[in-house]
Amino acid sequence: MKKILVIDDEAIVRMSCERTLVPEGYDVRLATNGRDGIAFMEKEKFSLVLLDLKMPDMDGIEVLNKINTTWPDTKVVMVTGYSTVETAVQALRLGAYNFIEKPFTPDTLIEAVKEVFEKSQGPRDADKDR
Amino acid sequence: MKNIFSHPEKSIAAKLIIATGILIVVMSFIFWYATLKKQEKDVMSMALTYGDSFVKFTKRSTRHSMLVFNPEETQRVLENLGTPEGVQRVRIYNHQGNVVFSSNINNVGTNVDRTSVACKSCHADPGKSPALLPDPVKWSVRKDEKGSTSVKIVSEIVNEPDCYNASCHAHPREQEIIGFVEADLSLALLDEALFKQGLALTVYVIVFVLAVSMFLGIINYKIVTHPVHELSKGMERVAGGDLDYSVQIKSVDEIGVLAGTFNSMIKDLKAARDQREKWTQTLEEEIAKKTEEIRMTHANLVQTEKLASLGRMAAGVAHEINNPLTGVVTFAHLLKKGFAPDSPQAQDLDIIIEQSERCTKIIKNLLTFARATPSEKGKVSINDVLNRTVFMVQNQEKFHHIKFNIKLEDSQFVIIGDSSQFQQIFLNMFINAADAMGGRGNIHVATRSLTEEGRPYVEIEFRDEGTGIKPENMPKLFEPFFTTKPVGKGTGLGLSVSHGIVKHFGGNIKVKSEIGKGTTFFVRLPLPDKKNIEA
Repeated sequence: MKKILVIDDEAIVRMSCERTLVPEGYDVRLATNGRDGIAFMEKEKFSLVLLDLKMPDMDGIEVLNKINTTWPDTKVVMVTGYSTVETAVQALRLGAYNFIEKPFTPDTLIEAVKEVFEKSQGPRDADKDR
Repeated sequence: MKNIFSHPEKSIAAKLIIATGILIVVMSFIFWYATLKKQEKDVMSMALTYGDSFVKFTKRSTRHSMLVFNPEETQRVLENLGTPEGVQRVRIYNHQGNVVFSSNINNVGTNVDRTSVACKSCHADPGKSPALLPDPVKWSVRKDEKGSTSVKIVSEIVNEPDCYNASCHAHPREQEIIGFVEADLSLALLDEALFKQGLALTVYVIVFVLAVSMFLGIINYKIVTHPVHELSKGMERVAGGDLDYSVQIKSVDEIGVLAGTFNSMIKDLKAARDQREKWTQTLEEEIAKKTEEIRMTHANLVQTEKLASLGRMAAGVAHEINNPLTGVVTFAHLLKKGFAPDSPQAQDLDIIIEQSERCTKIIKNLLTFARATPSEKGKVSINDVLNRTVFMVQNQEKFHHIKFNIKLEDSQFVIIGDSSQFQQIFLNMFINAADAMGGRGNIHVATRSLTEEGRPYVEIEFRDEGTGIKPENMPKLFEPFFTTKPVGKGTGLGLSVSHGIVKHFGGNIKVKSEIGKGTTFFVRLPLPDKKNIEA
């Protein structure tokens, strides 16, 4: 099962992700902030985290750092407003897999998610074989 | 002339005139007095000489009648001698003072006054002591009852052999002085002559004094008073601020030199004042310039601050709107999946999706305006960026009917900056030009180098053949959200963003527009020094 965790403080964004991804066959969990998200991750193993960059309480970058150090196999796609493209680029440097801009269409989201799973399966599996 | 004597202590001329006047009057008086006295003395000495001659003549005239002892004849001679005008009296008296003969017969037999000069000329105390004075003066002067001068001359008749040997034996041999001849002569005529001479002299002296004083006064006025007055008038004028005045004194004396010095001083003063006024003016201009600069800087600061806070707000709003927009887009898409693609519901949902995308675009523009994306700086060739931008837009539908007329100067115009920012400026210019021309016409692009206030600039000209900008819209051109384009076509941020970028690089944008003919934008960007580029 392809498990995805969505961490976003905005309910509508969480709902959009859930309604877009569930019909595509993904197992989606929703967290309203970074702390909750990390709590989820401690219980279950996720392949992908859709992480909002700007959140109150715990910043997206902070959460990213935590995921990178604790669950290095989990991919992170940053979800960001246009204003934070630079921060998104910074996030890529810090180890995020990709980023998508808000507002996104269902197709954009699905494409981005698909890419993660397709790519990670190819090279990563090859890595494992070695 | 009048006022110099009202306060003589205040006038050099008055002092000079008074001093020389007093000197002239005193000297003239001394001269006048000395001359009068000298004349009087000369006249008196002449009168005495003639008087003496007269007495000697009397002695000689009566000698014979005396020797022959003819008293009647002697008396007759004396009477004759007493007749001419001027001879008051002639008489002969003995040593005892008894008058023996006289031109006035009534006088004969009287005694001579012992205090008379006849006695006192020889005897210190006549009638009491025979003692003689060492230096007898045998004449005296007195004023008669008419006020005219008369002189009395006495001459002794000395005993001689002819006398004491005469047959009459009237005088013994041992008698030394046998008598005296005395003449009283009137000097009335001489008095009158003297008076007339004195009067004439007085008149001459007065006329002389007046003439000399007047002459001195005139000379004084010409040489001192007038020039000094001119000078003081000049000084008053100069003190009153009239520096175009010059004193008209042509003389070469000290006052002339003073006037010359004064005139050159005024000239210097005027030059100094003109210089000072020029400085003041320059200073005022400088102050006005600086004030304008400060005002501009302040206005720019206010504008920048305004834009910055607007940007911050826009960024905040944009970010917040992105979240609900995500929901709108997502659910519209999800909803659309439930309908056939060409059903009316699907078409309506397409409108929702389309309008949401429009919102997305507006937000992107807003965020561009807020310049939330920091730029990467590098060497940028303005000509290259222009060419690239033109190439980019030419492929877009909007520019399909637009011809680009490009004249770029050979120089590369290298600026340190972010090429995307310059591209954004040029893109805005092209979009505005295309919109102004309704998508058809020529866009003229040119670059040239120029120098402004000693700094090198590159000027990029964008000229369209569009509708032009209304004069009332000119001041609002660079204001954010100001647009004349139809709703949905323009955000009103293009020029405002361009302006912000150009300002950031220390440049400026100038606009020239004519209604119906077109608009030209001049974008000026400062070029860095060569060495900065090479470094």
